[in-house]
Amino acid sequence: MFNSATTLPGGACGPGLCGGRCKQTLKDGMWANNPISIQILGICSALAVTNKLENSLVMGAALIFVCAMSNLLVSLLRNATPRRVRMIAEVAMIATFVIIFDQFLKAYYWDMSRSLGPYVPLIITNCIVLGRAEAFALQNPPILSIVDGAANGLGYAAVLAIIGFFRELIGSGEVLGRTVLADNWYTGNQVMIMAPGAFLALGFLIAFANFIKPPQTEKTK
Amino acid sequence: MKGSSIYTIVYSAVLGIVCALLLTGVSTLTEPYRKANAAAEKMRNILHVLGVPFSAKESAEELIRIYEKSISEEQYGALRVYVYDGAIAVPFSDLGRCGLIKGFLALESDKRTIRGVTFYEQEETPGLGGEIGAKWFTDQFKAKTIFGPDGQPGIRIVRGGGASETNEVDGITGATMTCNKVQAMLNGAIEEIVEEFTENVQ
Repeated sequence: MFNSATTLPGGACGPGLCGGRCKQTLKDGMWANNPISIQILGICSALAVTNKLENSLVMGAALIFVCAMSNLLVSLLRNATPRRVRMIAEVAMIATFVIIFDQFLKAYYWDMSRSLGPYVPLIITNCIVLGRAEAFALQNPPILSIVDGAANGLGYAAVLAIIGFFRELIGSGEVLGRTVLADNWYTGNQVMIMAPGAFLALGFLIAFANFIKPPQTEKTK
Repeated sequence: MKGSSIYTIVYSAVLGIVCALLLTGVSTLTEPYRKANAAAEKMRNILHVLGVPFSAKESAEELIRIYEKSISEEQYGALRVYVYDGAIAVPFSDLGRCGLIKGFLALESDKRTIRGVTFYEQEETPGLGGEIGAKWFTDQFKAKTIFGPDGQPGIRIVRGGGASETNEVDGITGATMTCNKVQAMLNGAIEEIVEEFTENVQ
């Protein structure tokens, strides 16, 4: 039987690279256990940068990169890291990847870096990233950890993109900076651009997610 | 072994060094790009605030060429002034609510009428204080004067909808602190300009 998985780091991976858990992990992060709509984590940045779709997409990309890479590194070092300093070590690894992404934005995507302001560096304190490192990467092999990090990043990115799309559309009648609802009959609803609009949009989104898939606590009653 | 203090210290030191090396590498690699971006951003804002015509999609080389052709830099006392066709632009910078705010204030050749205001570096809250960089806010300053009806130098950022005098502009709702700081730093620049120019004229 052909089995390439045994040669991979963290040889616990069975057939199909991660013991058939890849799909489940991906689904968990993106939908069943979505960091924002189910776990209600990381909503600070989700509220702050979503007044434009473009900002939301770049922020989502940042989180996918940081979460996947930090999960990988934490998982690779999981057996070498002393328990006493594991939190500090995790934060150091996360900070490294966040700064790399920030520098990359500043160098190649200057306008975006300026409009996101402090929110890219603030990913260091995003509880999704540290949460995945603590809850998943410390107990799981590297490949599966990357999948988990990327899945949670994707789940976050998807929610941000949806909120950003509606806030930009309703707030200024634009999608990705292009006018969709013409000025002569549509007046942008300022409240959607400002902070309260973010709360409204997020509230509706979580309500909608719960409508499609009721929370499990209610199911078991 | 893994639980011993020595191991913990060695582990932390190695991790710290590896992370630091990684960041140093990335920083060195991107430094020329970041510096060029920052310099081009400053030039773009000087050109913009003085009303020099240029396309927003201009390459960095073209931008530098236009800049060197049209702008001359002069020093008046402590004041660095960028001159284009009689109009002047002076830099200002100070702490806003969240971080450093840097910008330019441009005056017509009469040294009384504002030609434009721009903020090229700011970290204010996006959507609130960050709106100081938005066109609707900076456009308000155009054609305003730096003197009030009583002849005193200074501009005022007033609560939304209340601007009536020629030295008043509407503030941003939800960003009172940013507006107050911006007003203070603009007035600081105006004071310097008045000292260097107007008093000699009068």
